[in-house]
Amino acid sequence: MILVFLALRVLPGDPVLAKYGASAGATPENLDALREEAGLNRPLIVQLFSWLGGIAVGNFGNSYFSQLPVSQLIWERLPVTIELTFLIVLLSCFIALFSTFLSVRKPGKKIDRFLENLTSLGLAIPNFIVGIILVITFSLIWGILPSRGYVPISENLFENLKLMILPTFTGAIVATPYLNKYLRTSMLELQAAPFVRTAEGKGLSHSNILYRHIFPNALVPTLTMLGLIVGYTLGGVLVIEYMFGLPGIGSLAIESAATRDYAILQGVSILIMTLFLLTTLLFDLACGLVDPRIKSNK
Amino acid sequence: MTTSTKKKGNVRVLTRISSIALFFILFAFIFAKFVSPYDPTELAVAPPFSSPSWAHFFGTDELGRDSFSRSLYGGRITVLISILAATVALFLGTIWGFAAGIFKGWLDEVLMRTADAMMAIPALLFALVCISGLGASFVSLTLVAGILLSPSTARMARSALLVEISTDYFTAGIASGLSRWKLIWNEVMPNVASQLLVQFSINAASAVMLEAALSFIGLGVQPPSASLGTLILQGYAKIYNSYWYVLFPSLLVVLIILLFNAIAENMRISMESDKSSS
Repeated sequence: MILVFLALRVLPGDPVLAKYGASAGATPENLDALREEAGLNRPLIVQLFSWLGGIAVGNFGNSYFSQLPVSQLIWERLPVTIELTFLIVLLSCFIALFSTFLSVRKPGKKIDRFLENLTSLGLAIPNFIVGIILVITFSLIWGILPSRGYVPISENLFENLKLMILPTFTGAIVATPYLNKYLRTSMLELQAAPFVRTAEGKGLSHSNILYRHIFPNALVPTLTMLGLIVGYTLGGVLVIEYMFGLPGIGSLAIESAATRDYAILQGVSILIMTLFLLTTLLFDLACGLVDPRIKSNK
Repeated sequence: MTTSTKKKGNVRVLTRISSIALFFILFAFIFAKFVSPYDPTELAVAPPFSSPSWAHFFGTDELGRDSFSRSLYGGRITVLISILAATVALFLGTIWGFAAGIFKGWLDEVLMRTADAMMAIPALLFALVCISGLGASFVSLTLVAGILLSPSTARMARSALLVEISTDYFTAGIASGLSRWKLIWNEVMPNVASQLLVQFSINAASAVMLEAALSFIGLGVQPPSASLGTLILQGYAKIYNSYWYVLFPSLLVVLIILLFNAIAENMRISMESDKSSS
């Protein structure tokens, strides 16, 4: 947290200058007065503590530009980000489960190899390029899906979901390969485990072993991974929101970076990092629920 | 035995193919002046938003500039940034990881926890904060990407060093009275060099990705110079006029990332098979 604050303050770059520097009638005296007003000329350490103190009571300060409280700006835009992240994670889990079962049924066969190649391709493509390709195919060539815009859920659920399709797939296509790779590796490892041999010895069917014995065990390490995926998705939605014109906190961060509105940028950074830590913690706790062995170890 | 040699042979061929492809692309970038059919800044060499043709492989942009020539010059900036960033990451990361591995104790703890903390922050968010503070430029992009990639390099360097330190030859060297620093410089370094090279290639791929993403959100190198990411940003804004404009630079970015990754992966596999066969 302190790192973010210092990175923004110590590095050169003056928000007041960025706001008024180009406009006519900006004299050095005027600019100084504005800095005074925003509290930017107080000693760094004073700024830091007043900011930290503010956060403790949920006050992120005011935007340098619109003068609106940062917390209000973030609250207005948070639902979009949460909805998008939720949809992306849901969809990527779904695809990852489906494709992993397809490839693990017959490891080393054509489907498995094809999916493996697809996975390494997916790992190499940045999310906005996936987005561009999807927009070109579905909005421009086929013209079946809108490429920009946002309608709140409360206004029209159907329109909202329609506008969310491309962003969701964009995020999911990038997130799935990580999950896929992890789930496949841990399931293949488990196939050599002694308990699987026992199950085979009992005469259980192959698919029964796969779904009831191997899958629950592979779930635990994957859950930890899923927590990380949620975190990376939170980072990835930054670009996705921006390119699809969704008013979430990611596009808020990018807009405020362009105008050097540090108050907003700090607030959003802290929020995303907090969400990231919370989800990781949550998934760690969920591991304990899924696998009682982890709890008893403590 | 035969299958493993065959696999090794395949890997060698793959490495060679991807290296040659990469060098071919790099060559085209470096000698963009001679390779590109048009001046990237020359206006109206063809009607704006032309589709690809034999005269203009990638079509033209909104001002009638040749997209192929612009992509070559843009690729030059992108690859230069990524290689410099990977070099920064290699340098910082190796010192960081080696310092942690050599001194151990509390310094190790502090250094590695810092690395963990840095890796926990989504890379793009971190870069966004740094770049908006530093101002977007060639140098700041390179430095920020390099710093962002150094923690993972540090972890790798540290674990590679720890493996080497635990070997018999290192203990024997210490016992025969050689200085630790000399041993690390003369004996450990050559042994971990190939692993560091793999990491370098991975880092270069990540840096291409990061540069493109940052340029895409408008925090990349500023006009008039344009990297591939900048071209994608400009092309995306005009996607309804011509999608060829945005498509080709995007594919070029993916291709470069794939090639860097392929080289890293193949180097790693051939290294492992070298180790297991000896």
